[in-house]
Amino acid sequence: MTLAIILVIAAALALIFILGVTLSRSLQVSAGTALAAQIQPIDVEAFRNLVDPAEDDYLRRRLPASEFRRVRQKRLRASAAYVRIAGRNAAILIRMGQTALTANDPETSEAARRLVDNALLLRRNAAFALLRIYVALAWPNSGLAAAPVLHGYERLNGSAMLLGRLQNPTAPVRISAAL
Amino acid sequence: MLQAHSLLWNYLWVAPNALLLVLAVLLWRRGLSRKFPAFLAFAVLSATGQLAVFAADIAPSVTPENFWRIDWVSLLVESFLKFVVIGEIFSRVLNPYPSVGRLGKIFVSGLGGALVLLAVLAAAYSRGDSTVHLISGAHLLEQTAFIIEAGLVVFLFLFAGYFRLTWDRLSLGVLLGLGISACEHLATWGIMANAALSIHQRTLLDFLNMATYHLCVLVWLYYLLVPKKVAASAPAPLPENNLDVWNRELERLVHPRALQP
Repeated sequence: MTLAIILVIAAALALIFILGVTLSRSLQVSAGTALAAQIQPIDVEAFRNLVDPAEDDYLRRRLPASEFRRVRQKRLRASAAYVRIAGRNAAILIRMGQTALTANDPETSEAARRLVDNALLLRRNAAFALLRIYVALAWPNSGLAAAPVLHGYERLNGSAMLLGRLQNPTAPVRISAAL
Repeated sequence: MLQAHSLLWNYLWVAPNALLLVLAVLLWRRGLSRKFPAFLAFAVLSATGQLAVFAADIAPSVTPENFWRIDWVSLLVESFLKFVVIGEIFSRVLNPYPSVGRLGKIFVSGLGGALVLLAVLAAAYSRGDSTVHLISGAHLLEQTAFIIEAGLVVFLFLFAGYFRLTWDRLSLGVLLGLGISACEHLATWGIMANAALSIHQRTLLDFLNMATYHLCVLVWLYYLLVPKKVAASAPAPLPENNLDVWNRELERLVHPRALQP
């Protein structure tokens, strides 16, 4: 009977999830001004600094062990916040890119395809990087590999800007904060 | 009314399968058989199999043993085809996106293995609802197949949802129908295979299964027949004119490795 209860609960949760996803997809507003406004610019330089292993090594050498662990945890939490925003921005850009995929202009649709591809890659990397950051938070001495996210984000910037230029030369997409 | 072999019972057994055959004809006539060959095969073979089981149920010449044998064959074919359909939809969703396609395939292979293991464990721990192995085995097979099916469908929704992948309308409809059917059937077969139910309670769950399947066939028909509303959308005006600033800054920032394809 316990197994029956477990299966019923699992099935109910799965059904709610499936219906929820379907409903949210059908209610999704088409990409437009609202979507572009949801993009949160990121300070790439600050992020680069946070995920720089040389910075970690420097802090490890200069600070007492307990102080280093405290500082590193703060840096990891800050990195996680950046990665989460990068992932969210990538999701928005995927939707924006997908609406442009059907453009009549082949150059625009090619730029959109590249943007979607890069954004997907970034979203994937963001998920893995978050996982690594949480592991690093649990085991502070483990290595951290958020660099692929940074590189992905920088590449994504280029794709978004190219698409922005092609769609509307006077109004580009901004996904990173001004330095 | 809610009795086995009542008019409603017969309707709920025959109608969805007849509609599924109509759906197969519509798929064929609309030239979608090349895009959804597995779903077409599922529609034809599953409906035919279920109608054969129905015929075996009402034909006095068919012995109970033979009825269950026919049910077993129909169940095996239907379960196999459902997994092929899920694979077909998975390919249709992922193929346009090579950057996550490989990852998705790795995940689905791993998850498939884990689900098979989980379903086998669940079957091993199930108490069985009949002393006749042919009957309890069929029920456990239903439970096993629906655990795997529901798990795969949920994973596909999760994966596509996380990456915001767009699906064509019929793919979404097919998977939604399979998902609703798998979740409801998993719950009912989970109860049937593990709890000692009275015949009346079992009949009520049969009604629920058949009504849900009818609903799923209607969902498939809806997604096939009703076209998607196309909202007229103007090109998105993109915010702020800071492209040049960013181009300049990024060129200074970008690591040489990031420029490599």
